[in-house]
Amino acid sequence: MLEIRNLHAQVAEAGKEILRGIDLTVNPGEVHAIMGPNGSGKSTLANIIAGRDVYEVTDGSITLNGEDLLEMEPEDRAHKGVFMAFQYPVEIPGVSNTYFLRAAVNAKRKANGQDEIPTQEFMKFIRSKIELLHLPQDLLTRSVNEGFSGGEKKRNEIFQMAVLEPVLGVLDETDSGLDIDALKTVAEGVNALRSPERSFVVVTHYQRLLNYIVPDFVHILKDGKIVRSGGKELALELEEKGYGWLEENLAGAK
Amino acid sequence: MSSAVLTYEARYEDVYRHAQSLAAGGPDWLRSLRSAALAQHQTLGIPTPKNEEWKYTPLRTVAEMDVRPAEPGSALFDVTLPSWSGSKSRIVLVNGRFDRNLSEVPAVPGLQVSSIVNALIESDGLLTLHLGKIASTEDHTFAALNTALFEDGVVVHLSKGAEVPEVLEIVHVTEGDAMIVAPRVLIVAEENSRVQIVETYVTNGNATSVTIPVTEVVVHPYANVEHVRVQDEAVTNHHIALWQVHQHRDSEYRSYNVAFGASLGRTDQNIYLDGEHIVTRLDGVVVANGDQLLDNHTKLDHAKPNCNSFEIYKQIVDDRATVVFNGKIFVHQDAQKTDAKQTNQALLLSPTATIDSKPQLEIFADDVKCTHGATVGQLEELPLFYMKQRGVPHEQAQAILVYAFAAEVLELISNDEVKHNLEARLFTKLGIED
Repeated sequence: MLEIRNLHAQVAEAGKEILRGIDLTVNPGEVHAIMGPNGSGKSTLANIIAGRDVYEVTDGSITLNGEDLLEMEPEDRAHKGVFMAFQYPVEIPGVSNTYFLRAAVNAKRKANGQDEIPTQEFMKFIRSKIELLHLPQDLLTRSVNEGFSGGEKKRNEIFQMAVLEPVLGVLDETDSGLDIDALKTVAEGVNALRSPERSFVVVTHYQRLLNYIVPDFVHILKDGKIVRSGGKELALELEEKGYGWLEENLAGAK
Repeated sequence: MSSAVLTYEARYEDVYRHAQSLAAGGPDWLRSLRSAALAQHQTLGIPTPKNEEWKYTPLRTVAEMDVRPAEPGSALFDVTLPSWSGSKSRIVLVNGRFDRNLSEVPAVPGLQVSSIVNALIESDGLLTLHLGKIASTEDHTFAALNTALFEDGVVVHLSKGAEVPEVLEIVHVTEGDAMIVAPRVLIVAEENSRVQIVETYVTNGNATSVTIPVTEVVVHPYANVEHVRVQDEAVTNHHIALWQVHQHRDSEYRSYNVAFGASLGRTDQNIYLDGEHIVTRLDGVVVANGDQLLDNHTKLDHAKPNCNSFEIYKQIVDDRATVVFNGKIFVHQDAQKTDAKQTNQALLLSPTATIDSKPQLEIFADDVKCTHGATVGQLEELPLFYMKQRGVPHEQAQAILVYAFAAEVLELISNDEVKHNLEARLFTKLGIED
C-alpha cells in the first residue's frame, strides 16, 4: 500500500541532508514501528509522508496505492487517506473541533465526489467516535487544542483520526510527554482503529508505546537510513541494550 | 502651516455657503456653535500628510472632489438595511436626516429617541447641555465641518435607571455622489441606566460621497453602555468620523469598532475618563482589502484615579490595502492606580499590504499599570499545515485562521445575535462561505 523507495530529503532552507535512502513497504493492515535516536530522521520521515514543505525531497519516491504522494499537496494526501498525528498538535483558538472536523470531512467528501454530510448526520457520527474512544463530550465544543493538556492534545489527535478514517495513520512520537495512563488511553484508541484495510506507521523513540500498540515490524533508523528491520522483538532488544548497542553492533558488522 | 493644508476652498464653496446659511438660523447657542465650528474648520483646512495626525492618510481625493451639501435621500431603497440583532425596531438616518418611514423606535420606559430637528423645536435642554460640548472640534477639521453642516440627527436619552432590553440599532445610510454627509448622534445615559447600541454606517449602492459623522456619548455614574460601531460602506465612499465619549465615575462603557467599508475610512475615537472606578473597553476589528485605506485613531484620557481600560485592535490587511492604527493613552498626574492595557495585532496577507502602527503612551502619574503590545505578522506555516493535513484546502484553511484571529474580538460582544451576524459578515468580507 505505502511504498517508499530510495528516499533522500533535506531541510529546504538549510540544505542539510536528513534522509539518505529510505526503503519501506507497508501492506494493508500492518503496523510498522520506526525507532531511532534523536536526530535520526524519523520525525522528518513522518512529516514528508504527510507533505510538510519545510522538507525537500531530493531523490526517491513515495506512493500510496500506486499514486505518487510527492506530487500532491498535503490536503490531497489527506483526501487519499493519509493522516498524521502530530508530535506537537497545533492550537487554533476560536475554531471549534466540530467546525474544524466538519470542514475536513466535507473537503474529503468533495474531493471524492460525494455530497456534504448533513449536519445532524455528522453530529451523530462524531458522537459515535467520542463514545468509541471513551472521550469527554466537551471535546466537540472546545477550540482545537486550545488550552489542552499534553494528554488531551494527543487524545484529540486520535479522535480526529477516528473521524477522518484514514487508510494510513502516521503517528509522530505520539507517546512523547505522556504519562502511563494517557499513553494507555491513546494506545487503546489506536488499537480500536486497527483493521485489515488500515495501516499504521508509528514513530517513537521508546519501546514503551509498543507494549500497547504491538507492531508487526520494527525498523531502526539511524543517520537517515534504516539500519535494521525485524519483528516486535527487535524493539525489546533495543530497549534492553539501548541505542549504544546499535552503534557497537553496526561497528562489529563492518 | 500653509504648506500643511491642501488647496480645496473653491471646490467646497457650495458647502460653505450652505454652512453660512445654517449658521444664520436656529437658537442663539446653535448659531454661535455653528459659526465657531465653521471658523475652526476653515482654520484647520484639509490637512496634508505633513500633519502628524494625518501622516498615513492622504486626503487628496477628498480635497479634490467638487462637493455639495447633502441632499435628502430618496425613499426608494435597493439596500437591505442591516439589522444585526434581528430586532424590528431601529432608527434610520438617510444622508444625516432622521427617516420616519424607515424608523421604528422601540417603546421602552425611560428611553427617549428624537430627531435633532424635533429636539430643537422642543428646546430640549439635553442639546444645549451636551451637543458640541463633548466632541472636540478644535483639533478635528471634519468634526468641525459636521457641526457647521448637520441638518438633523438623532438624540438618544436614557433616563435614570432605565434599562433597554433589546439592542438599540441606529443605521446611517449615505446615498448619492459628491456630497458632504454629516450624520450627528448624541447619546446620553443617565445614572444607573443600561443599554446596548449598534450604530451602523452603510451606503445605498456605490455612493461616492464623503460621510463625516460625529457621535457624542455621555455616560453618567453607574450607567452601563455597550456600543458597537459598524462601518460597512461601499468601497467607493469616503468616511471620516469622530466618536467621542465622556465617562463619569463608576460607569462602564464597552465599545467595539468594526471597520470593513469605505475606500478611505478614518475614525477617531476619543474617550475621556472623568471620575474614579470607571471601566472602559475600546476594541476594534478592521479588515481592509482591495485598495482600501482604513485608519483608526484612539485616544484615552485617564483623568482620575482607579480606572481600568482595555483595548484590543485586530487588523487584517490584504491585497494593496493599508491599515493605520494610532493608540494614544494619556494618564494624567492625578490618575494614580490606573490600569490600562493596549494590544494591537495586525495580520498581513499580501506582500503589497501595508500596516502603520503607533502606540503612544504618555504617563504623568507614578503609580500605574500601563502595558501595550503591537505585533505584525503573517499566517504561520504550522497551523496552516496542520489544517491542510486534515484535508482542509489551503484557501479555506487560511480563511479559517484569519477569521479566528478577528473573531477573538467579536466574541466579546454580549448579544449573541449581533455577534453571530457580525461573524457571518466577517466571513463574507473575507470572501469565504460558511
